[in-house]
Amino acid sequence: MTSSPTQALAVAAQAVAASKIYGSGDTEVRALDAIDVAFEQGRFTAIMGPSGSGKSTLMHCMAGLDSVTSGQVIIGDTDLTTLSEKDLTLLRRDNVGFVFQAYNLVPTLTAIENITLPMDLAGSKGDTEWVDEVVGATGLADRVKHRPNELSGGQQQRVAVARALAGKPQIIFADEPTGNVDSNTAAEILGFMRSAVDQMGQTIVMVTHDPVAASYADRVVFLVDGKIVDELLEPTPGTIRDHMTQLGA
Amino acid sequence: MFKLALRSLIDKKLRFALTTLVVVIGVMFVVGSFTLTDSLRSTFAGLAQDIARGADLTVRVDQTFGGDFERATVPEAVAEQVAGVEGVDLARPELAALNVFIVDRDGEPIRPPGPPALGFSFNPGSFFITEGQQPVAPGEFATDTVTAANNDLRIGETYQINGPLDVEPFELVGLFNFGSPDSHTGLGQTMAAFELDEAQRFFGMEDGYQAVGVLVSAGADVSEVQARLEAELGDDYRVITQEVDAAEQEEDFNQVVDIFNTVLLVFAFIAVFVSAFIINNTFQIIIGQRVREIGLWRAIGATPAQVSRSVITESAIVGALSTVIGIGLGLVLALGLRAILEVIGFPLPPGPLTLQPRTVVLALLVGLGVTMVSSIAPAIRARKISPVAALSQDFQLGATGLRRRLITGGAVLAAGVVSLAAGMTAGLDTTPTFVLLGVGAVLAFVGMNTVSPVFARPAASALGRPAKAFFGMPGRLGRDNASRNPRRTASTAGALLIGLALMGLAAVVGESVKKTVDNILDNAVEADYFIQSAATGFGPPPGFPARVADEVEALPEVESVMRIQWAFSGLSVEGEPRDIVAADMTLADDHFDPQVSSGDMAATDPLTSLALHSDSAESLGVGVGDTVEATFPDNQTETLTVVAVYEDAAIYGNWLIDGALWDSHFNRNDLAFASARIAGLSGAAGEAEQAALLQKSRAAVNEVIDRYPTVKVENQAEFRQTQESQLTAIIRVIQVLIGLSFVIALIGIINTLSLSVFERIHEIGLLRSVGMTRKQLRRSIYWEALIVAVFGGLLGVAVGTVFGVATALALPESFVQVVAVPWLDLVVFVVISAVAGLLAAILPAIRAGRMNILDAIAHE
Ligand SMILES: Nc1ncnc2c1ncn2[C@@H]1O[C@H](COP(=O)(O)OP(=O)(O)OP(=O)(O)O)[C@@H](O)[C@H]1O
Ligand SMILES: [Mg+2]
Repeated sequence: MTSSPTQALAVAAQAVAASKIYGSGDTEVRALDAIDVAFEQGRFTAIMGPSGSGKSTLMHCMAGLDSVTSGQVIIGDTDLTTLSEKDLTLLRRDNVGFVFQAYNLVPTLTAIENITLPMDLAGSKGDTEWVDEVVGATGLADRVKHRPNELSGGQQQRVAVARALAGKPQIIFADEPTGNVDSNTAAEILGFMRSAVDQMGQTIVMVTHDPVAASYADRVVFLVDGKIVDELLEPTPGTIRDHMTQLGA
Repeated sequence: MFKLALRSLIDKKLRFALTTLVVVIGVMFVVGSFTLTDSLRSTFAGLAQDIARGADLTVRVDQTFGGDFERATVPEAVAEQVAGVEGVDLARPELAALNVFIVDRDGEPIRPPGPPALGFSFNPGSFFITEGQQPVAPGEFATDTVTAANNDLRIGETYQINGPLDVEPFELVGLFNFGSPDSHTGLGQTMAAFELDEAQRFFGMEDGYQAVGVLVSAGADVSEVQARLEAELGDDYRVITQEVDAAEQEEDFNQVVDIFNTVLLVFAFIAVFVSAFIINNTFQIIIGQRVREIGLWRAIGATPAQVSRSVITESAIVGALSTVIGIGLGLVLALGLRAILEVIGFPLPPGPLTLQPRTVVLALLVGLGVTMVSSIAPAIRARKISPVAALSQDFQLGATGLRRRLITGGAVLAAGVVSLAAGMTAGLDTTPTFVLLGVGAVLAFVGMNTVSPVFARPAASALGRPAKAFFGMPGRLGRDNASRNPRRTASTAGALLIGLALMGLAAVVGESVKKTVDNILDNAVEADYFIQSAATGFGPPPGFPARVADEVEALPEVESVMRIQWAFSGLSVEGEPRDIVAADMTLADDHFDPQVSSGDMAATDPLTSLALHSDSAESLGVGVGDTVEATFPDNQTETLTVVAVYEDAAIYGNWLIDGALWDSHFNRNDLAFASARIAGLSGAAGEAEQAALLQKSRAAVNEVIDRYPTVKVENQAEFRQTQESQLTAIIRVIQVLIGLSFVIALIGIINTLSLSVFERIHEIGLLRSVGMTRKQLRRSIYWEALIVAVFGGLLGVAVGTVFGVATALALPESFVQVVAVPWLDLVVFVVISAVAGLLAAILPAIRAGRMNILDAIAHE
């Protein structure tokens, strides 16, 4: 499925006037400032912005790992702000994938066990064909019985992405998934994510500081001081750099 | 470095609190037991002085061995002789007897639950009348104010009193305080005092007195009078001053206190030992968790010595603080124990608790010592952490290789077993035996603990198999975490192991003793009725009036009655005191079957006969027909002929003499036990006739027994039942006491679990972020605890069973003939430890569930 920017697509997740405020009074930090953003289905979005601009906060709040102070966060048709702790957990398990910067895997479980972890927690077998397909796509089919400490950082991150994909969630959030690896390894991980969007129709939102990484996305959203300040479609490293210098200036 | 150590303590409050708690418990037990027993000693010292205060000098028969109540009496003529010595103002004969029970208005004998029921001749020197008057005539008695108040005894009323010989009515004429005019000095004993001649008659001690108290004339010198008395009476008598009398009394009391102290110290030792495991474990984990931090210090220039010093400093702070808290709580524990003693019938006079410098030093040794020693190994490990370790994610501290563990641990274990075996079989004195056993036990446990990590991983994953199979991912993760660090799993389990091993040992030995008793009851008991004191409780039952046996014997339904009396150290042979039993030798083989292997008990003159267990016969090198020189506590020596050798020591012990011989050397007239056989039972045809005979005779016997409130009668089935339930109760009490170490082990599990949860914070955050519910997370922690606890439980029960069987085999045959293993009990123990493990997991599981996911993820 290919997408044209003009065509209106179904929204996988969105934030409506979402604010996140840490502390109060003098120490108050407005990490998200009445942010409105929507992520369409089947697209790969990159989020960029200076350090401390609220990127991680946005990811956490949208994935149900943290709550917003005001406003709404909606995944599919579900308003996260109305959910109980338990329902939030189940939503994360069944409808959301998350990839952290590093240490995404449970060290006592093998790669394949890590991949099927959310399904095992749900007590379901999941779609085994789909899992096989995902594993095939990671290029790690022969290493799935290994434990995380026997895999390289890049391989570990690919396993983490595979886990996010395995449950066919509505959306995957990745917070600097390539922040800890060299550029070749980064290319492997990003290529994998890109193909997940293209071939599997996954929706992915990724935070990154790297214009090259961001150029794998369909759309780049720029965040400054908890607000969306700019947006770029069909990005290339060059256009991204231009926007960044503009914003920095 | 000190600052760093302090900082790390403050940062980790919970961990610090838990570690401290463990040390505190160890110190608390040590301080509590010493403080209580020191206080008991000073209480008893006071009591001893009160008792001795009644006379300036006391004259007694010189006794080389045996108890106070077995001492020969001072003849009346000698008492008169004493009165005639110059400087003696007053010579007051004194008499005392055990098992003199006052029966209250409702017909219930007043039975102090632990302390003795005593009878005395009224002694104005130490009995101070507060109400009424002292007994001066036959049929009168006085009692102490506390017994009167507790049982509502009133002057002017008449009460039945059970004496050594018979039950008789006496009128209460006065109440007195013992020891001092103002307050009664008592430890819960009941006291009944009679006029001297009346006491002699009632106690059956007409031919003399236990002692003669002497008051010297005004102006006379006590030591001169003492010297004159000694010259006058000769070597057979001792003349002792008030101070010596008090000191001797005190020493008697202290023997009891010492036993008590030893028991408490054994628990303190177990507590300290278990604590040491947990403390060591805690420090190991803490160092493991701080690898990165320590690596960082090293990277910025801290020397290895500084690093290990900071670890030691941390443990020193923990040790010092917990010692202080432990001393405080130890005093509270002593007060608590005193309250418990009071509840079970040993009221102690209120007095300050005695905290001696020795106790404080010991507390420091335990509190500081154990923590410091426990932290040495971790400190060495910490020293080896390289700066590079700071960078790598899952750096594992170099654990000792499993093969090396197997070898060193096995060697230590073997040494322990050898020492235990030596202790049990070498037949040494008490002290070296206990040292060998103690050292052996410690070595065996340390060895076990060293070896057990080798099994920990396979065992944990085997135990966790059902968890994984039936409880999905949470079970699976619990199992993984339990087998993740075998050394930790093993030493957490180790804390449980100790308690369980001891409980298992007690269970196996207990069961073996029980089975042995069962066997004896099956095979050795021939008599139909058994008469003994109706008192329940621990320790040998008190005696009962001899008259009961006479009356039962007089019944036409009864064929014969055998009377049994006994005394610790009642006989000295080849210079060694021996415990003896006295019974009618003509009936001894008829009422019970001691399995006589040679000779015949009933054959010869009872006054010169002796029957022996084969062990004693063997060690003396004598057989039937040989003679033995035996000295009695009244200092008389007799030449006794061995008339029989028997194989079963359960009923008659190792040394058996006839009742007639007993009567000629002992002043105690009450009976310990009597058995009766029914006439015509063996001749009776058919069961119906037998049953009818038994029923008829029972009614007759009951009619006699009912007149004696302190006595009960049982038939074979009842007798057996009582014996069994008493044994079971004793075993249970021991097990419950040992079970205290469970509490400590519980804290150990809580500690280890919290620490390992803390260690996995990031991982837990991760699991929660991919959709593990709180419930699932908690469940995985429960599984982990369960697996560790069951591992410890199984190991403990296995060790306990092995030790128990070894102990049972090593015990003398009079005690254990059959080795039996109570499987059900052992299974229950494992279940108990599983439950303990689950309980311990509650707190860490809840904490883990409450953790903020993002904070957890951010944590490395
Ligand atoms: N738990 C917290 N408590 C207080 N303030 C916080 C907390 N978490 C984040 N902040 C603040 O919120 C703001 C946004 O933080 P956030 O982590 O979202 O930034 P970011 O864009 O991800 O930065 P980076 O690129 O460095 O990862 C920052 O100013 C940060 O200091
Ligand atoms: Mg961030």
